[in-house]
Amino acid sequence: MKVLSKAKLEAALNKLSDRNEVFVPMQKGQQSGYFTWKSFENGQDELMLDALNVYQSPKNAVLPQTEKMYSIKSQGVEVNIDQTYEDAHPTIIFGARGCDVKGIIAMDDVFLTRGYEDSFYKARRSGNTIIANACYEPGANCFCNAMEVNSLEPVGADVILRDAGDGYVWEVKSDKGEAVTALIADLLEEKEAKLPEVKPFIQKVDYSGVAEKLKSMFDHPLWDKLSQPCINCGMCTYVCPSCYCFDIQVKMWGEEGYRFRAWDSCMFEEYSREAGGGNPRGASKERFRQRFLHKLEFFKERYGTPLCTGCGRCIIVCPTDINIVRIIDAVKEAEINA
Amino acid sequence: MPDQDHKCTCSEQPLVPTIVEVIDIIDRTPDVKSFFVRNVDGNGVPFQVAPGQCGMVSHLPIGEAMISCTWQEEQEYLEFAIKRVGLLTDELHQIEVGQKIGVRGPYGNGFPVDACKGRDMVFIAGGIGLAPLRSFIKYCFKNRADYGKITILYGSRSKADLCFKEELFELWPQETNTEVFVTIDNAQADWDGHVGFVPSYMEEVNPSSQGAIAVVCGPPIMIKFVLQSLEKMGYNDDQVITTLEMRMKCGIGKCGRCNIGSEFICLDGPVYYLKQLRDLPPEW
Ligand SMILES: Cc1cc2nc3c(=O)[nH]c(=O)nc-3n(C[C@H](O)[C@H](O)[C@H](O)COP(=O)(O)OP(=O)(O)OC[C@H]3O[C@@H](n4cnc5c(N)ncnc54)[C@H](O)[C@@H]3O)c2cc1C
Ligand code: SF4
Ligand code: SF4
Ligand code: FES
Repeated sequence: MKVLSKAKLEAALNKLSDRNEVFVPMQKGQQSGYFTWKSFENGQDELMLDALNVYQSPKNAVLPQTEKMYSIKSQGVEVNIDQTYEDAHPTIIFGARGCDVKGIIAMDDVFLTRGYEDSFYKARRSGNTIIANACYEPGANCFCNAMEVNSLEPVGADVILRDAGDGYVWEVKSDKGEAVTALIADLLEEKEAKLPEVKPFIQKVDYSGVAEKLKSMFDHPLWDKLSQPCINCGMCTYVCPSCYCFDIQVKMWGEEGYRFRAWDSCMFEEYSREAGGGNPRGASKERFRQRFLHKLEFFKERYGTPLCTGCGRCIIVCPTDINIVRIIDAVKEAEINA
Repeated sequence: MPDQDHKCTCSEQPLVPTIVEVIDIIDRTPDVKSFFVRNVDGNGVPFQVAPGQCGMVSHLPIGEAMISCTWQEEQEYLEFAIKRVGLLTDELHQIEVGQKIGVRGPYGNGFPVDACKGRDMVFIAGGIGLAPLRSFIKYCFKNRADYGKITILYGSRSKADLCFKEELFELWPQETNTEVFVTIDNAQADWDGHVGFVPSYMEEVNPSSQGAIAVVCGPPIMIKFVLQSLEKMGYNDDQVITTLEMRMKCGIGKCGRCNIGSEFICLDGPVYYLKQLRDLPPEW
């Protein structure tokens, strides 16, 4: 098998960075997330390939938090769009865990299917290669196994890394994977490596039948109780590897400017407020319910898979201790009066 | 319902508007104006719209809003009737003929004009809700032989607030086998027509449900009562069609906000049979 020895990891990242923007999990000051290898500062930043989930998911690489769409020039009655900003520059997400890979694959369903291809997403994704890092020892909040993710064989990865102690087994999974492998071929060794033992999941989650059961629970009283602590801060949606909702806004300086999009959140009142002030999800509970139903029911109905990938980030960041695993449990246990 | 077979005839850049020229503007009411747009080279329209479909209309430096295309006149123009309610629509009401604006579309499923062939049609609208229905009404008149009796029931707050007055009072009543009923909420000196709300007037007029299809659009509260009245009058859930309005940004099922359950109203709607709505969570 091909192996990238850990001693050559930095050399490999340098080499990949010649032609690609390489996003790697690292701790940068107070933040952890996927940052570019070029921005890595020796002695200050810390590579986090061993950590399971850094605070921010890598979705930024394909759906930036804010993204320019097109230029606007407006003079009197004339208006022009001189430039659109589809960006297909080559990027690599290096070391993504299975849950985060699934987040991107779910976004592929949203942005690239059902009649319309989003040209901005399509461009970024076309230039993007995913090098996943298989998980052998799930963390305290991980439950991807319950959410239709195989953390050992992440579907959609172009290369899969397996941590074999002093090196990574390097498994090529696609043509894109082949292409990035060629860039560092001289750093890979052909040898045997011993894979780690697969450890069990600590979180026990049973999602089976939950999407179907939720279909008749829209008006169930459990939402009142579950949503009660939520302050609709939106943290859970921002750290989520698969929340993709966006807002479209404009920025003008006199006659010139541009339209851009930015992450949005169904937890915000403004998100679904209509002209005239009406809002189908004006109450906190209604927005809370939207988020969890979208994750656990609606997306599965539409695209055949849940939108929660089991990464556990929202459990960690929520200031009011709302826990999607407990929500799944509560749905499982809930009684439905016919 | 999720439409997996939507054949894409859309642009390669669905979120980027096409620039068009506003070739005419007509005041419909004190706060509704019709904007007529055509390609900037003077030839043709930027896209073909079916009755009930929408366009995202943008005044580029300000913003965008989803607006029903109230009529497409062949390759001559697209017409959007826009009510002034906020930031973008205020600005649109300031522009003058010759202004270039952006549009993208067509969006949404549109009315089931073929499935309704051979049926008596009952159109029930309130306020700006006539704008989307008008595309279907005019389509019926254009293909008059395909439809049975046509009944149009329309109401607004006051006489001044009635949209499309010329059509309501002069053109449509002259069409064969057609009746037009108009009402305003409160009596006023220069009005000798009906006074009262749309749902109760509809019960008075009582258009037969036999073989008929009712198409409803208006403010949520009107829709709610009209649907109750139609049920009383014997209309089944598969004889009632309505169009929904949710906040929209992208128009193509991507940005997330317009969902009801697993439906995206911008893409799968906005037109639904009541029967389909009954299967959705009650967020409409
Ligand atoms: C499928 C569909 C079809 C539609 N068809 C039509 C149609 O045919 N005709 C039509 O007229 N409309 C139609 N609409 C509604 C239309 O999209 C909205 O009226 C439009 O988006 C309003 O945009 P706006 O920017 O003017 O309002 P917004 O600015 O979004 O206004 C929202 C609210 O905020 C308030 N507000 C706005 N700006 C400010 C500010 N600066 N400070 C404080 N408060 C503010 C306004 O008072 C308003 O109540 C349709 C909607 C949908 C979904
Ligand atoms: S949970 Fe909310 S913010 Fe996240 S994808 Fe769903 S609707 Fe969008
Ligand atoms: S992080 Fe917690 S409190 Fe904040 S919106 Fe999400 S569930 Fe609600
Ligand atoms: S308006 Fe964006 S999903 Fe419907």
